[in-house]
Amino acid sequence: MANIDLISLSKTYPGQIRPVLDRFSLNIASGELVALLGPSGSGKSTLLKLITGIERPDMGDIHFDGKSVLSVAPNKRGAVLMFQKAYLFPFLNVAENIGFGLKVMGESPKTIRREVARLLDIIGLPGMEKRKPSQLSGGEQQRIALARALIVQPHLLLLDEPLNSLDNTVRMNLQEAIQRIQRELGITTILVTHDLNEAMAMADRMALLINGQVAAVDQPMRLFQQPPSESAARFVGITTFLKGSLAHGTLRTDYGNLVVNTNGHAANSALFAIRPEHIQVQQHPGQNAIPGKVVGCMYRGEHIEYQIAAGDLTVRARVPMPATMVPHGENVFVIFPPEYLFAINEQFVRHSSTT
Amino acid sequence: MKALPTYIIRFLLYGVLAAPLLLFGLYAFSEHWFFPAFLPKDWTTAPFTRIVMDPQTGNSLAASLGIAILSSLLSLLVGFPAARTLGLRNFRGRQVAWLIFFLPTVVPPLAVGMGLNILFLRLGLAGTLFGVVLSHLVPTIPYTIFTLAGVFASYDENFEHQAWVLGATRLRIFFNITLRLILPGLVVAGLFAFLISWSQYLLTLLIGSGQVLTLPLLLFSAISGGNPTSIAALALLFVLPPVLVIAASARYLNQHGNTVREQH
Amino acid sequence: MAPAILLVGTLFGVSLIYGLAQSLGLLTGTDQRTLSMAAYQNVLSGSEGVGTEFWPSLGFSLWIAGVSTLLSAAGALPVAVWLNHQSGRGRQMDTLALNWNLAFPHLVWAIGLLLFFSQSGLLARLAALLGWIQNPADFPVLVRDRLGMGIIVDYVTKEIPFLALIVLAALRSQPEDYGVVATNLGATPWQRLCYVTLPQILPSLISGSLLVFAFVFSAYEVPAVLGMPYPRMLPVLALDFFANPDLHHRAEGMAISLIIAAVVMVVAAISLRYEKRAGYSQ
Repeated sequence: MANIDLISLSKTYPGQIRPVLDRFSLNIASGELVALLGPSGSGKSTLLKLITGIERPDMGDIHFDGKSVLSVAPNKRGAVLMFQKAYLFPFLNVAENIGFGLKVMGESPKTIRREVARLLDIIGLPGMEKRKPSQLSGGEQQRIALARALIVQPHLLLLDEPLNSLDNTVRMNLQEAIQRIQRELGITTILVTHDLNEAMAMADRMALLINGQVAAVDQPMRLFQQPPSESAARFVGITTFLKGSLAHGTLRTDYGNLVVNTNGHAANSALFAIRPEHIQVQQHPGQNAIPGKVVGCMYRGEHIEYQIAAGDLTVRARVPMPATMVPHGENVFVIFPPEYLFAINEQFVRHSSTT
Repeated sequence: MKALPTYIIRFLLYGVLAAPLLLFGLYAFSEHWFFPAFLPKDWTTAPFTRIVMDPQTGNSLAASLGIAILSSLLSLLVGFPAARTLGLRNFRGRQVAWLIFFLPTVVPPLAVGMGLNILFLRLGLAGTLFGVVLSHLVPTIPYTIFTLAGVFASYDENFEHQAWVLGATRLRIFFNITLRLILPGLVVAGLFAFLISWSQYLLTLLIGSGQVLTLPLLLFSAISGGNPTSIAALALLFVLPPVLVIAASARYLNQHGNTVREQH
Repeated sequence: MAPAILLVGTLFGVSLIYGLAQSLGLLTGTDQRTLSMAAYQNVLSGSEGVGTEFWPSLGFSLWIAGVSTLLSAAGALPVAVWLNHQSGRGRQMDTLALNWNLAFPHLVWAIGLLLFFSQSGLLARLAALLGWIQNPADFPVLVRDRLGMGIIVDYVTKEIPFLALIVLAALRSQPEDYGVVATNLGATPWQRLCYVTLPQILPSLISGSLLVFAFVFSAYEVPAVLGMPYPRMLPVLALDFFANPDLHHRAEGMAISLIIAAVVMVVAAISLRYEKRAGYSQ
């Protein structure tokens, strides 16, 4: 278990112009589970390869407990990676697969046997020693892969979308299992995923990786409710952005004036956002209301999802059930409750303007 | 019940493949088998024994085996890293490298052998076992590389990475992971190299300068001699090692798949 | 990477350069010190020696290579399609049987045909047993004949398995769904073969057939064993002149050999184009 510092890591692959990672910095506290979230191609997998030492960064440093590990070989680093595919060695049985790490360290067969049995207990598959990887289900294979990673008691566990190829039920099961085991063993963990729900459910903190940089890092709830930048906001499912000038708690937009709760200064161009589930839809006017027309509505079970055209703005609202459905083509009012409108930090907006 | 065509095709397939061995057997172990007798009246092992025991036969068998084994081992050794790079990496000049390996697989040994003939004479390599092995490498290395590159194209390096982060050393990964995963392809590539070198006539003739005598050369001179018994006996001796090698590696041939590009 | 490129590239490249130099009259052991196209002139339009034999040989080579290739392709197609419909153990055995073909080098195969088809061979003996012929001379000349039938039979029987394996690989790399989709849309098995299977394997078959053509066109052993003194296939002609004790003929042999190599490279280039297409269609 270690405190991990990733310091200004940069990496550009030969023959490419854009860096995959661009001065990426992040701290992971000992025992913490940080989820690394980002669209495909944002450099997630590269980052894991740098941390394990499979590849070297062009610039920057990696510290485990304050000491640089760049010169430590991957097989001595103790940063164990678990892939999307289980990569169980097909020619070894379950016990030999799990025990692989101990065997290459020269542990005695007796110790290995004992540890393998212990790990099989922890992952909930006792007595599976003699099975071949091909006889296991996808979920079981991933559990074995997890056991194989844990048996060496790594400083850092890296999970590279390990549940992606599994179906939903198995996936939920394993999410719970991994979280439980991670907490029990107190093992520092980085979980890479592009599944927002998975990241929020499992992580102590979430880091958004966009264009090779950290676009945002915070506790899941804070990041979900008040993302600091537009790209981060889009990533957590926010699509309604309101631009205007801000003065005396009022945002003047092209669609009308909106009251906002802010102690910020007056500004000529301010950007506010709101989560879709906080937007209300009603057929009579009210405070902070913008008139619009329903151009799409979908019944999603737990809520109704509206698309409402208000001028050139398309508002996506998520109205919780029970509610009466406003049919397509109806004129409605979209309500933006002041307490839910939040300002987006300019400094971050500039940062991610390329997306 | 299976359809009749299946049996017919199968009969033809297996029949054609078994026929040469039976035919050589008939000719090699018969005595006083004059036209128009359909089958030999007397059977004997005498001429076969005589030919096999002939020191010249023994020497050329040894030369053939030595050259073929050495060529295939060297091809694997030199070809393995090249195939890995070619199969796994995209790099500048990949096309050129590919072309350099592709050309020797289509340009006939005739042209290569005739070209190398003078060069090797000047270098003093003509007529030496080493020179012959070197010339055999021109076709065997490319075939080895293409076979292995095909294997590496569907190879997943993450198996190695997994072992690496679990604490295995490079050497250990190579022997415990890479080799074991690649083994079927490695066996098949080695087999191809062996067969190509084994059946090579022209390169041995043109580089060996009559000093290096292998079984194909002996066979050719037997054919001009025209004695069916000695031809058949030598032919049996000549196909025996390939038959054994293929039988031994049948498992891997099936595992490897069917992209066989061997031609000689 | 580097050692392999260095070794193969150097040996192969130098062999071509030396070959070219020899065909231009240098390094042949004669006292010529200047480049000369004489060998090529003698080969292509000479009125004696090699010049009289080159064109008939080229024609004969094209005939043998062309017919062998067409027959092999025509034979390989049904074998591969049939094999693809087999399953389980039988299929494995059949695939193995095709690979078994590798065990017999062309030289051995040619010897087998010689012993089987010659006028005192097994087939002639069978004819005698059935009372069809009395003397070996009564039996038709099937090998070492003017039309090169023995050579063609050798190549066809050897190359059918080779091409069948290539086509089989193409078939097996296809997602099976297309056939199912076609059936689902009302295609009969025959239509499925014509409209779905054939278009999928055609690029591979053409590419493989061109390789067969290149190989047959440039191989030495089989025509050397099963061929006539005249007309000879080009490789036999080339080696004969190259090995001629009169060193002036060396250049001519080398020139023929380079002409063969040039033809082969062109054919291989076309084959590659089709192979690429086969790659895309998968």
